[in-house]
Amino acid sequence: MPLLELTHISKHYPHAKGSLRVIEDISFSVNEGEFVAIVGPSGCGKSTLLRIINGIVPLSSGQVLYRGRQVDGINLECALVFQSFALMPWLTVDDNIEMPLEALGIPPAERRRRASLYIDKVGLDGFEEAYPRELSGGMKQRVGLARALAVEPKVLLMDEPFSALDALTAISLREETLDIWQAPDSPVHTILLVTHIIEEAIELADRVLVISAGPGRLLADLRIELPRPRDRRSDGFNAFTDKVFSLIEERS
Amino acid sequence: MSSSAINIRRFAGTAFSFLILAAIIALFFAYHRRPAVLHLPRFSVSARQLPYYAFCSFYRMLAAYVLALIFSIVYGLGAARGRVWERVMIPIIDIAQSVPVVGFFPAAVYFFVSISHGGRLGVELAAIFLIFTSQAWNMALGVYESARTIPGDSLEVFQAFGASGWLKLKRLLLPACVPKLVYNSILSWVAGWYFLIACEIITVGPAHYRLPGLGSYLMEAADRGRSGEIVAGLLTLLAIIVAMDFMVWQPLSVWADKFRYEFAASSPDSEAPETVAIVGALYQIGPTILRGFRLILAPPAAVLRALRERIPPLRMRDYSSLWRGLRLVRIGLVLIALVLLAWAIVDGAVALVRALAQPWPAEARMIPLATLASIARLVVAYAISLAWIIPCTLAASSSARLRQRLASIAEIVGSVPATALFPLIVVFVIEVTGGMNLASILLILTGMQWYLLFNLLAGVSQIPEDLKEAARSFGLGRLATWRKLVLPAVTPSLITGSITAWGGGWNALILSEYFVYRSHTYQVLGLGALLDVATYQTGNSVMILLSLLSMIAVVIVLNRLVWRRLYDLAVERYRLDY
Repeated sequence: MPLLELTHISKHYPHAKGSLRVIEDISFSVNEGEFVAIVGPSGCGKSTLLRIINGIVPLSSGQVLYRGRQVDGINLECALVFQSFALMPWLTVDDNIEMPLEALGIPPAERRRRASLYIDKVGLDGFEEAYPRELSGGMKQRVGLARALAVEPKVLLMDEPFSALDALTAISLREETLDIWQAPDSPVHTILLVTHIIEEAIELADRVLVISAGPGRLLADLRIELPRPRDRRSDGFNAFTDKVFSLIEERS
Repeated sequence: MSSSAINIRRFAGTAFSFLILAAIIALFFAYHRRPAVLHLPRFSVSARQLPYYAFCSFYRMLAAYVLALIFSIVYGLGAARGRVWERVMIPIIDIAQSVPVVGFFPAAVYFFVSISHGGRLGVELAAIFLIFTSQAWNMALGVYESARTIPGDSLEVFQAFGASGWLKLKRLLLPACVPKLVYNSILSWVAGWYFLIACEIITVGPAHYRLPGLGSYLMEAADRGRSGEIVAGLLTLLAIIVAMDFMVWQPLSVWADKFRYEFAASSPDSEAPETVAIVGALYQIGPTILRGFRLILAPPAAVLRALRERIPPLRMRDYSSLWRGLRLVRIGLVLIALVLLAWAIVDGAVALVRALAQPWPAEARMIPLATLASIARLVVAYAISLAWIIPCTLAASSSARLRQRLASIAEIVGSVPATALFPLIVVFVIEVTGGMNLASILLILTGMQWYLLFNLLAGVSQIPEDLKEAARSFGLGRLATWRKLVLPAVTPSLITGSITAWGGGWNALILSEYFVYRSHTYQVLGLGALLDVATYQTGNSVMILLSLLSMIAVVIVLNRLVWRRLYDLAVERYRLDY
């Protein structure tokens, strides 16, 4: 049974002059252990898709099944990582990571243990008492990652997590994300990554879902059969890049 | 920087403030020469006079506002020119903001009436000046802040293309000021109405003068117990305020949005929520009127533009000697103005010292106790405000619709000058409880709470969407969200709102601690009461001066010791940008 199953998802916002259709009839499923990337131009609703899966944005029509059942409200087993990091500026790194754990009702000792464990895993050992404004962009996103990992979710939902970082930091964070995904003792083995950078999607994912420009429709579900670690300069890689690019171009 | 250096800076700053303050007061005492002779007309309370009175009040507000607008643009842009200008001009406004408006009353009346040789014109000018002082300072600060926060890129564009002077003013500086000017104009009008109603009745010693207007109408009607007329007056006031909101402030706010320096994509949140059809239609009135204006003004504007294009541009190089001459003239005029100012200050300072050298009246001994009593009252009113406003803020943080509704209600209710209801409030509370203390606390409340509410609502609306999403996506409950997100995020707004609220509270003291109604004087022990008694009953200028100075001193000390520190702390810890 697939971990996540989306059927005929649509989302529209009421607008002064009618309604704004953001997502139009998207269906796909995600199996446990898969790294799925969702690619599309800006405004195609891919970020909204992630929020619908997590539950903070209600869908207009369709169904989201998690482990075969519909989830009411927020799905706490799907943790979001935000493009803008979304850290509370007045909480330390430690407090930021413990915040969702407190909401889950986890006792203080366990909270502290998990926070130290995942701060360590993202390489921020020693920065527990730092405030977000004292950190660089890459470190802030590491905190965001640690916060999502600390709740030990089943699915990691990443919303353009590297777009706000410079190219070099993004490269190292991508590698770290792959490490986290592949590590046997990692809490999460299923990742859904949204991005507008085609190369990033092909470098990281097993499957690439291509979404058209707004209203977003599913154009293709490509399985990336390339050996890992992916070589950006190989012909296979370029073939996939061209394919995705042309798919998006056709529909714009 | 060593801490001793900072303390010297602080001390110098405070000393400088006091000097400026003394200068302002001295300016007025420079003209404390001839006693005013006022002619008293008869006053009619028939409802048929309402349109006339409404018009009188409105034009007074408008005149004061136009003056405040011009002043704030000139002053604010001037202060933004450079550090030297800023160092001098901003502390002046800081002090002026702390001076309770009505403290200027006797001086203003004497000044304007002696200029106009007695008569109504002098009193009208005094009222307009008073309204001006309650409107101008926050607008000037808004202009200054806008000019200072223009992004460096925009400034560089103008420098790089050699555009300066009038073009820069028209295309860069003025547009940048629009959002804050509109916002502060709305606040200024609210403050103006509050004091106008109280200002229309001027008592200077034995003379008792009523300017035709809504304030005096309401006061007279309450005095004579004509409840029908009171209701009519209040409804008229409400009608004016609502009409202004729909026809002026709403379209202006929409227009001002165009000038915002925001580069983030607007969320669905920022769209106006769907309202009941009738209200929605009413909201269209404003933009329609604006469009109408544009249509009417388009042809003459086009003609003017064509004319201007016909005239060949003046090249500075061809007229260099003329420009040099003009610059010299300008320097000369400034020098003359400065000399006149200095003479007035010296003259006034002498008069001030001479006044203070007179034996101090016995009531002066009550000043410390009265100050404590007033502060206690302010604290209680502040606590009551927080008690109802913070829950409203928390509720508004989860629903944009509620926030919008609250803001609209607050705008209308907060605009109605509570001073119009003072007679009723005082009588009601005294009849029920027999204590003026409670009544004065309630009156102070009306001058404090709206600032707090507006600031907090603004703070709530500025909580970044992604932080709210993060809290929700990780399953944070309502209480946890309030504790971890909303309250920390609005703390800077809470402090700013509190500073403004306390400023409003100090101003309201003068109207709340001393009240004459139906020839019965209600008063409590307090600084405001002391000042009022000195102004309206005994006419003792030394006492007026002492109470005024004490109030200003306390305000300045509180601002520096408490509010400044709290604000710095709040901005340091709870700043949203990182």
